[in-house]
Amino acid sequence: MSRRNVAWLALAAVVVITLAIVAWPSGGTRSDAERVRSVGSELRCPDCESQSIAQSSTETARAARADIRQRVAAGQSDAEIRQAYIDKFGPSILLNPESGGLGILVWGLPAAALVLGAGGLVLALRRWRREPHLHPTDADRELVHRARP
Amino acid sequence: MRHRARWIALAAGAVVTVLAVVLATQVGTDPRADANKSHLLGQNAPAVDLPTLDGGRVRSSDLAGKVVVVNFWNSWCIPCQEEHPALVEFFRRHAADPGFAMVGIVRDDTDGAIRRYVNDEGVPYTVALDPGAQASLEFGTRGQPETYAISPDGVIAGSQFGPSSVTNLENLYAAARGQQ
Repeated sequence: MSRRNVAWLALAAVVVITLAIVAWPSGGTRSDAERVRSVGSELRCPDCESQSIAQSSTETARAARADIRQRVAAGQSDAEIRQAYIDKFGPSILLNPESGGLGILVWGLPAAALVLGAGGLVLALRRWRREPHLHPTDADRELVHRARP
Repeated sequence: MRHRARWIALAAGAVVTVLAVVLATQVGTDPRADANKSHLLGQNAPAVDLPTLDGGRVRSSDLAGKVVVVNFWNSWCIPCQEEHPALVEFFRRHAADPGFAMVGIVRDDTDGAIRRYVNDEGVPYTVALDPGAQASLEFGTRGQPETYAISPDGVIAGSQFGPSSVTNLENLYAAARGQQ
């Protein structure tokens, strides 16, 4: 394996390991209180502008925390609890938009454009390297000839 | 090679065009626009069992078979104060109808402040308290005033977020009666 391939392999390994660390769910079983806090932090307080249910001290946010606690105790998954709130309040109850539908387009298209652009650049550079635009003139050859011992 | 570069340029152009269309059509859209309408329309209204200001209770089971208008409000909310005359006028128009009931559910306020407001302004329909804000949460309220019309079979037939006029309320009533 050439030194260049080893470098690419190392780079790929770093990317894969980084993605795995970021994407892998944090280990260990979470307590019910942690789940209530976690789900509550993803949901917008219904009667505030930009606070989460976990942060807000409004009466409705407190009621929502109690409701989430009950749902967790009843065995509902985080996704089921989130969906129950989306059904009641609409998708805007989520503080972070869902990673699907239009979100994929909006986030994915710039990335796709970047990859395509980088691909095009690589191809163009290779082409330019194979087809040099400067050709030696007779004067250049003469200069090289004279410089040789 | 030249063809490949052309295809890449074409693909990049297509991606940029789609991105431009998506951004142009979606960026101006308010992501919280869905917060201005009830997502419970067409669904069964949440069951409530709440204490009333006069010491009684209001239960959804007792209101079955009636058109029920539910108004979430409180004493300190200016839009609630502004819509108050419309609510009173609307209630007076239908108060004699045995198939009609109206409940004002207090959101985020104290008993004392509500009693003062009711004494000063007069609220001719049932005023229910919502300790623990359970009803506010169950109805998916975002604030006050919010008004819901429930059909005789218990389905939420209409909603109004923000202050209502008599016309709004009549439209909600008609929707709950199945006349719209």
